[in-house]
Amino acid sequence: MYEWIERDEVDFISTGIDKLDSLLEGGIPKGFFTLILGVPGSGFEILIKQIASNGNTLLFSTCETEEEIMSTMKRFGWNPENLEIVDIASEYAKRTLLVHGKRSSSYQRRIDLDLKELIAECSGGKPIERGEEEDFLNMLSKRFTDSRIPEKTIVHSLDFFLDQYQQSEIIKTLHIMKMSNMKKKGAVFVSLTKGVCGELFERKMESIADCVLELEVIRKGTSFDRYLAVKKMKNYARKIGIARYIIDESGFVLETVERIL
Amino acid sequence: MVSTLVEGLKERVLTSISMYQSVCVVLPGTNYQDLIQALFNCMREKHTDQWVYITVTRPFDNFVKMFGDLSRYPNVVFIDCISRSSGIMKRDDQCIYIESPTMLERITMEIKHIFRNASEDMEKFIVLDSLTSLMIYNDPTLVIEFFYQLLNRARSEDIHMLSLVVEEGELDRHINKLIYLNDKIIKVRDTFI
Amino acid sequence: MTFGVCETGIEELDAQMGGGFPVGSTILIVGSSGSGKTTLCMQFLVNGAKKGEKGVFFTITEPLFKLTSNLEKFEFFDRSLVDDGTITIIDLRIIFERLGLDAEKYTVEDTNALLGVIKDIAKELNVKRLVIDSITALCYRLQSKEMIRDFIFKLGTFLAAKECTTFLTSEIPPKTFIFSQYGIEEFIADGIIFLGEVERGGDLIRTLQIVKMRGVDHSRIKYAMSITSRGIELAPLLKTR
Repeated sequence: MYEWIERDEVDFISTGIDKLDSLLEGGIPKGFFTLILGVPGSGFEILIKQIASNGNTLLFSTCETEEEIMSTMKRFGWNPENLEIVDIASEYAKRTLLVHGKRSSSYQRRIDLDLKELIAECSGGKPIERGEEEDFLNMLSKRFTDSRIPEKTIVHSLDFFLDQYQQSEIIKTLHIMKMSNMKKKGAVFVSLTKGVCGELFERKMESIADCVLELEVIRKGTSFDRYLAVKKMKNYARKIGIARYIIDESGFVLETVERIL
Repeated sequence: MVSTLVEGLKERVLTSISMYQSVCVVLPGTNYQDLIQALFNCMREKHTDQWVYITVTRPFDNFVKMFGDLSRYPNVVFIDCISRSSGIMKRDDQCIYIESPTMLERITMEIKHIFRNASEDMEKFIVLDSLTSLMIYNDPTLVIEFFYQLLNRARSEDIHMLSLVVEEGELDRHINKLIYLNDKIIKVRDTFI
Repeated sequence: MTFGVCETGIEELDAQMGGGFPVGSTILIVGSSGSGKTTLCMQFLVNGAKKGEKGVFFTITEPLFKLTSNLEKFEFFDRSLVDDGTITIIDLRIIFERLGLDAEKYTVEDTNALLGVIKDIAKELNVKRLVIDSITALCYRLQSKEMIRDFIFKLGTFLAAKECTTFLTSEIPPKTFIFSQYGIEEFIADGIIFLGEVERGGDLIRTLQIVKMRGVDHSRIKYAMSITSRGIELAPLLKTR
């Protein structure tokens, strides 16, 4: 399904946003694990899509369905040619709807039961076989250990997993992702809404990540200023920087580039 | 080899047990073997009757070694109270193994079960081997209570009971209390016969 | 009202109860895990079945195949009683599933639906003996004491009117002398049988005690209980100091 791109001399993978690439002085170093932190309203879901629409990408989407993603991309005029979306959002919605549907009508279900058939079934002596429901976190690590994974992989967003699983389990999975990505020299992007799950977890995530991008919104009078900060860049300390951005009809536009170091 | 001692013991036991409902045999340890031999002869002779042999003294296996194949005694069911707790894990259709000699109520239950399945016209006998051993594993008051119960039950159901006491010289005061509950006491001394 | 008696087939127990449990009563069988609750209940059902009384066993804690394979070890159990439908063993978890009750906590509506199905089954099979093993696992899913009380009360009343005698098992932690996990089940039950153990010379002896039985003049003496291939047997417990 995916063609391995011949590794050339370039040590970076393009984010798909020219100015971001230049802010990063070439892109994301190969094998890097990038954390994208964003506050609501910062448009980080747009940034994710913009990154996703470029190059060979696998996107695990937990908060938007494939349909929504594709229509947003179309609106921005992005034509992802090598994008695969793992639509966790739809799958999850399907499951919860199913459970909810069951719960709301136990009375009705009782009425609909065929008693004779029920008795026969319940005394049949067959152990109950539950339909295998795939564990989403498990699915992540499974996909990652698969050798045929594209260059860019995006998980959008971690918030969903934090609702469903223990933090320790998530961190374990992230480590697996990080390790296999390092070996394959790809780029992994993981998004997390800032302030949702506590500072401690954010700190832990920042320490796991090789690169941390943070999107901030600051209110100035009647307008908002948006900033993209490169908070961490392992082994490239001079690449730490901050840029103001706007989002126009073409996507992210980085305005000024300030170097901190 | 027919020992006159064994033969004599057998006769004494047989006569007593036919005449009395409950008989207690008090004997010194040196004569234990002889009495067991005599008892097995009794059981052999009264083969049309149902016997229950409760052993707390020796494992059932030991009787097999002494007397060979016990299927020649189809009228006897053994209740072995010590093999399991000594870690001997054998099985035999003729023997009921009880987990521990402290589980006295289990003995009662098993006896009840065995006699329930015995045919009406069979005479019923219980051999309790021995009160002395039961005292080792249990609180004396418990053994006394158990023995009372067993004896009363035997009386009400027309079961003959033979209990053994292996003691030298002066009897334990609890056992002394117990043996007089029996209708007949046979004391075996070295000078016997 | 005059009631007949419902024999368990366990001689000493029936004798204590003046022949058996009052027909239509609800009895809580209390004991820790492995104390013989399930065996007692099965013996109760099988004994009824052998006299032509139909019975149903609702299991929650043990899967059906495990339950029946354990039962095969007992001489009193007769496979044909299950095959010919005199005894029906029902996996309640399948009912939970069919009612869509896969959540851990049930609403009032869920509980009523469940109660309804149990009642429907009892009626459909025309049972005279019913067992739920265990009521503790069921109560766990009910959200409040009121719901538990309501459930057991409604079930008990319905079954009493149908002259169906009911055994509910109640699981308690080992070495405790309480009658139920939620402290409510015992007040609604007509009778309580406590399965415990006493220590003697380092050995544990199983015991059975009738703690309460409405309308029956019973003693509260303890019995030593044994579970062998013959099932449950009792003998008066020798007094231990």
